[in-house]
Amino acid sequence: MENKEKKYGDIQLVHRMTVIKRIIHWSFFLAVINNIVTGFYIAYPFLIFGKTPAQSDSISKGIINSGETYQAFIMTWMREFHFIGAVIIDVIFIVWLYLAFFSWKEPLYKSFIPFGDKIAEAGRMVKHYFTLKDKPETTRYQDPLNAIIFTIFHLLILLQMVTGFQMYVASFTGTSAVGGWWPWLMHFTTDWTLVVFGGLTGVTLVHLFTMWLIIIFIVYHIYTEVWRSVMWKEGDILIPFGGYKYIRNKTESE
Amino acid sequence: MGDGKKKDAAKNENDNPFSTPEEDNNFNFKWDPLRNIADDPNEVLKRVDERLDGLEKECFNNKKDKNNNLENIFSLHGVTRRDFLKWSSFLTSALMLPYIFRPRVARAANILTRTPFIWLDMADCMGNTEAFIRTAHPTPAEIILNYVSVNYMESIMAPAGYQAEARRIETVKKDKGKYILVVEGAIPTGLNGKFLTIGAKGDSGLKIAKETSKNAGIIIAIGNCASYGGIPAARPNPTSAVGLSSVTNRQVINIPACPANPVNVVGTLVEYILVGKAPQLDSLGRPLWAYSGRLHDNCYRRGHFEAGEYVRHWGDDGAKKQYCLYMMGCKGPFTWNNCTTVEYNQDISFPMRAGHGCIGCSQPAFWDRMTPFEKPNADAKIILPMVEATADEFGMALFGAAGAGIAAHAIYTGVKKKRESKKTSEKKKSDSDKNDDNNDK
Repeated sequence: MENKEKKYGDIQLVHRMTVIKRIIHWSFFLAVINNIVTGFYIAYPFLIFGKTPAQSDSISKGIINSGETYQAFIMTWMREFHFIGAVIIDVIFIVWLYLAFFSWKEPLYKSFIPFGDKIAEAGRMVKHYFTLKDKPETTRYQDPLNAIIFTIFHLLILLQMVTGFQMYVASFTGTSAVGGWWPWLMHFTTDWTLVVFGGLTGVTLVHLFTMWLIIIFIVYHIYTEVWRSVMWKEGDILIPFGGYKYIRNKTESE
Repeated sequence: MGDGKKKDAAKNENDNPFSTPEEDNNFNFKWDPLRNIADDPNEVLKRVDERLDGLEKECFNNKKDKNNNLENIFSLHGVTRRDFLKWSSFLTSALMLPYIFRPRVARAANILTRTPFIWLDMADCMGNTEAFIRTAHPTPAEIILNYVSVNYMESIMAPAGYQAEARRIETVKKDKGKYILVVEGAIPTGLNGKFLTIGAKGDSGLKIAKETSKNAGIIIAIGNCASYGGIPAARPNPTSAVGLSSVTNRQVINIPACPANPVNVVGTLVEYILVGKAPQLDSLGRPLWAYSGRLHDNCYRRGHFEAGEYVRHWGDDGAKKQYCLYMMGCKGPFTWNNCTTVEYNQDISFPMRAGHGCIGCSQPAFWDRMTPFEKPNADAKIILPMVEATADEFGMALFGAAGAGIAAHAIYTGVKKKRESKKTSEKKKSDSDKNDDNNDK
């Protein structure tokens, strides 16, 4: 037994994600997946519901007869779920922004202070990814490289929010069911995108392209967490499920 | 509401043969907040009537002249009094004015035919002029535009050369602050405007536009080219063409579209005659009464959009059933105009009704931003340096590169790990617990 303990080093539990953060993580996951699927449909409707006389049902051709026009409303449902997902993402973004500064457990800004040291540590982490040596020490805060990449991801989400609201407010004509302040707020905060991206069509394309960056982030994120779990043996993949990971101060080969 | 006011209104009705006596004497309409002349409806009516009376005195020689003017014009084109009444009611509601303004709209249309006009043709195809003067069965809007008192318009005026120039300069001086300036076509600014020279003296379009807009009563940029530069200003814009609002510091009312709808032009002018100032404009300088609605929201095919029923090829079954043209590149979701409600071609059709998607011709830079016209917007090329791809193609390429990178890193990690563990196992040959990871604890 002594031999084994020596081999795996001192194992220490560290609490990384509270229940709230785990709920946020998985709602975020579901909402983003939902918005990618529905967003694809809105950009390029791949299914035709409602049969015309010359068409026959064919999944491969993307034709499904769901009866009369009024019964189908597939685009309405896609847009509805896209908007519901968007609202969830918006709320989560605001909560994330709050927690990044005022979280009791692990505020994100702690991973950036002191800035120079943390950037250097992020550089060491990148180096570690490619040399598998000199792993930066695990602390009870998020490692700076992940902190930087997650911040970039949230900035992409913010870009999606801004461009999305600009497309959403396009169908408003000056007022809304909750009052004129709501379209005004959206115009006030998002009209700059029209100038920067060249009109509503440009905004739409930016929204579409940013989705690809988000998909790339998701793949990268899953890969690195699996990679860390395999290579570090600290249970990183368990964080969003149980909230805990381990710190091993001494590793096998070093 | 005082009695005197009612009598005044009644008197005005009787003066004009092209109006019906006002039956509804309920003056408590809610004044449309878009125009903001005054909060009190009676005050609004008073000011409008005073303005109309003054203009009528100015424009017509006598009462007979005033009363017979529209009748003379319309009877030539077979438009009956009843047609005109219908049209003026239509225009009143299109302008979002209360019904009590209908006789006043008719009077304003009468005055409009006598207001001095300067119509400048800059760099464009003159499609707007063509659309107005070559209509086979003109509606009152087009007839009124044909009979406005144009003092200068290259395509239809009798004088030529120096005489024409003199006419324009005289109007600018004589009718200072009164004449209506309509500009059609983009204004090239490159080479100090030398890309476009007009007239006997070879003045540049830039110079003429600046001179005439200085003294104009109201300035209207008609068509997309005059409003935002349109096709002459499409990338790479060799002549540095711009819209009229970029070369003058006066307020310009943009009536974009290709060609502009005559109803929007006449409606805006009628409103100017009624209240003496420009209608309220949106952020792109277009009158809100005409351009506040998005085509997609008012399209009669919107139900098919929501139902996921799309035309997929020209002439397919969906096209015959008038399904949504979203996948055939309709730019209705990005375009603000009133085509779907006011309609084109003698008010009988508009692109979606004719079976083709909108091309977004009332939006700035539509030639660059709305293309390809017959493919969905998602298939448009994104504008990034060194990238010639759609958002999806480029995104998928990045995604593939990222996936390849990840796979490479995974393989690299595996190989390197194996090599290192071989080294260590050679070092610690005696360590028997090497591989029983699962047995601990």
